[in-house]
Amino acid sequence: MVKRFGLLLLAVTLALGLASCGGAGEQESAEDFPSDDMDVVVPYAPGGPTDLAARTIGSYYEEEFDETVVVENEPGASGTMAMNELISSEPDGYTVKLIAAPATVVVPLVEDVGYTADDFDTVGVITVVPSVLAVGSDSPYESAEEFLEAAEESPGELSVGTPGANTSQSLEMQRLDEEYGVEVTTVPFEGNTEMTSALLGGNVDAIMINASEDVLANIEAGDFVPLAASPEERPDFLSDTPTFRELGYEDLTLSTSLFGFGVPNDTPEDITGKLEDTLREALEDPEVREQLGEEYIADEFIDAEEFREQLDEIVEVYEPILSE
Amino acid sequence: MDILQGLMGGFGVAFDPMNLLYVFLGVFIGTAIGVLPGLGPTATIALLLPLTFGLPAETAIIMLAGIYYGSMYGGRIPAILLQLPGDATAVVTTFDGYPMAQQGRAGPALGITAIGGFIGGTISVIGLTLFAPVLASFAVNFGPPEFMALTVVGLLLITYLGSKSIWKSLVAAGFGLLLATVGQDPVVGTTRFTFGVTELLDGISFVPIAMGLFGVGEIMYNLERGGWTTSATSRIANIWPSAADWAQSRLAILRGAVIGFFIGILPGGGGVVSSMVSYGVEKRIARDPDRFGKGAIEGLSTTETADNASSTSAFIPLLTLGIPPNPVLALLFGALLIQGITPGPQLINQNPEVFWGVIASMYIGNLLLILLNLPLIGLFIQLLRVRGGILAPLALMLTMVGVFSFQNSTFDMWLVLIFGLVGYLMRKVGFEAGPLVLAFVLGPIMESALRQSLLISNGDPSIFFTRPISGTMFAVIGVLVLFSIVQFFRKRSRHVSDEG
Repeated sequence: MVKRFGLLLLAVTLALGLASCGGAGEQESAEDFPSDDMDVVVPYAPGGPTDLAARTIGSYYEEEFDETVVVENEPGASGTMAMNELISSEPDGYTVKLIAAPATVVVPLVEDVGYTADDFDTVGVITVVPSVLAVGSDSPYESAEEFLEAAEESPGELSVGTPGANTSQSLEMQRLDEEYGVEVTTVPFEGNTEMTSALLGGNVDAIMINASEDVLANIEAGDFVPLAASPEERPDFLSDTPTFRELGYEDLTLSTSLFGFGVPNDTPEDITGKLEDTLREALEDPEVREQLGEEYIADEFIDAEEFREQLDEIVEVYEPILSE
Repeated sequence: MDILQGLMGGFGVAFDPMNLLYVFLGVFIGTAIGVLPGLGPTATIALLLPLTFGLPAETAIIMLAGIYYGSMYGGRIPAILLQLPGDATAVVTTFDGYPMAQQGRAGPALGITAIGGFIGGTISVIGLTLFAPVLASFAVNFGPPEFMALTVVGLLLITYLGSKSIWKSLVAAGFGLLLATVGQDPVVGTTRFTFGVTELLDGISFVPIAMGLFGVGEIMYNLERGGWTTSATSRIANIWPSAADWAQSRLAILRGAVIGFFIGILPGGGGVVSSMVSYGVEKRIARDPDRFGKGAIEGLSTTETADNASSTSAFIPLLTLGIPPNPVLALLFGALLIQGITPGPQLINQNPEVFWGVIASMYIGNLLLILLNLPLIGLFIQLLRVRGGILAPLALMLTMVGVFSFQNSTFDMWLVLIFGLVGYLMRKVGFEAGPLVLAFVLGPIMESALRQSLLISNGDPSIFFTRPISGTMFAVIGVLVLFSIVQFFRKRSRHVSDEG
């Protein structure tokens, strides 16, 4: 009953959404695009790295296209409200949504939300934030080998804080156990602030955390000691920290947050292409680079195709874990 | 020195022209709604919450805080003049305030309470300035077990101190805890009680719950009760208390400030408890306690002082621990969360502009309040003429627009109406919304803390008792609970023997 009511509500919202977009009608060629205001939907509250990414590129678009770009924050319901808005919008390139991987593709794996990871087209990646396994400055473990060996010897004894359930950081720790037999106790916290407190207060043995600027500051200050990094290759700003892959955990490379743009399916290719090319240019712009943080921009632009490939990989690896 | 530096930074924030404007707006609105019968600070802050989404975090909190302590000033006006307490805190104010007004001394009653409020507020801000940073640095190392203990203490004290009936508070708090479980499980990530409704994936949002229970519920309840029809009042001739009044109140004001400050820090302690306790103390040490209830100026001034002091010191647990001690601060907690800031021990380091900006703004706010409340008192008295029939529909409209603007969701508009109805029904049968909303805010903190603790200890519950801080807190909880159980049975046996 309730479900039906929810569906009904959804149908009504969809209908309203479609009706309000009805006017745009005719397809326009990429040369004229854009000739009207654009919307950028952000599935998170203002502030924070996702909002920053969307707003920075949004204002670059605004300047470049000479059209007004409205950034709308639509937090809530694990980002499903924003995604539903994107899917129900006209596929004309005027509605762009911030895609935060892996969250955006993990949610439909866990919940029946009415869409899948394939229900949008990718434009490209804006910022890449790797994760890092870190311990406190007074930790008895000085290297990843020591830490992981200790974990292997006494399964479940060592606790690792993560930013929440079903985050890539939690899932990677779960894979560490299931695929490599190294069992740590994952303790989900809410966001970086809580994890930082937990590690500084000695309440957990280590944390698996997004290497955002606050974390880098703690590493710089010596309060956090990074043991291992998640990406396939060492990030420039953690050049002394081995990756999980180097340490012999070949497949633990997915705990990296990708923030990029997506558009509805069936958006004309040349329009998506224009958004993609402009994004590529934006990421070369010195001002944009400074705003986003030089270290979080990929050395080589992750374009629409590669972004999609990476999303597919996440889905492929995480689907069996999450559907258990 | 750190404190001085922080405070200077805070004044830098507070003196920003925009923030100055919002302090003024906050205390002005606060005084006004304190005067307007039927819209307490909780309802007003709940209704105005959506207006703060677009503001910077520090500005938002500066304004909301201003409304809160401003309403303490405003609330005394109808309490003294009409024996109409706007909310529970002002009940004690009527004890001696209204008799004074009847004796033709409404002016001095309003005057001394404004002065007392200023002194109480200012002493309390100074206490907050000195005490909060120390507590924050102490609390940095608080882990999940300590937060578990804190939330348990908070919930217990709120139900114990908050209202007349402990059972009804417990039920309301229990309901709040239940509502808080809707959404994703914090550890496993599966969803609970969403019944397939995608809008509930992240749980029920705080904004519609608060706006519904406090705002809409309150509006409906007051409309029905007709609590919004008031009579106009006579002119106030002289608001300045005489030298004799001052001599009589001086020490009472100081005692009220100290009592209010300390009680305000306790969970559930702000507002009515502090005014009750300070009034009780004055009565007990008075040479002629008979005068109390018949227009004793020291009883009135200590009450209002304690009120203002406690509403300021109540910010200590919010800013240093991230634990809101009363429903109004639960709303401010929600406002910070919406701004993407999780209040806690890290706040002072990560968002010093919020931490120190709010504290500094309180010095300014108190100064503005005394200016508003001495020369401009006549203006506020005029507000007593506003009719509820005009105010209520306006407030309701504002609510619906406001809640939609929160996340552009019509679902939230339905939620507000549903919780408005729930709030109205609760009021009607004597349940308070306060414990519910506080439990709703504390619930997720408590659940995460409990489960994180047990994960860390591999399922061993002794982690709560072997760590010095959480152990002490749980010991205090045990004594408190034991004490109230013993008291309960003693009362009962006395009752039985009375009858027999």
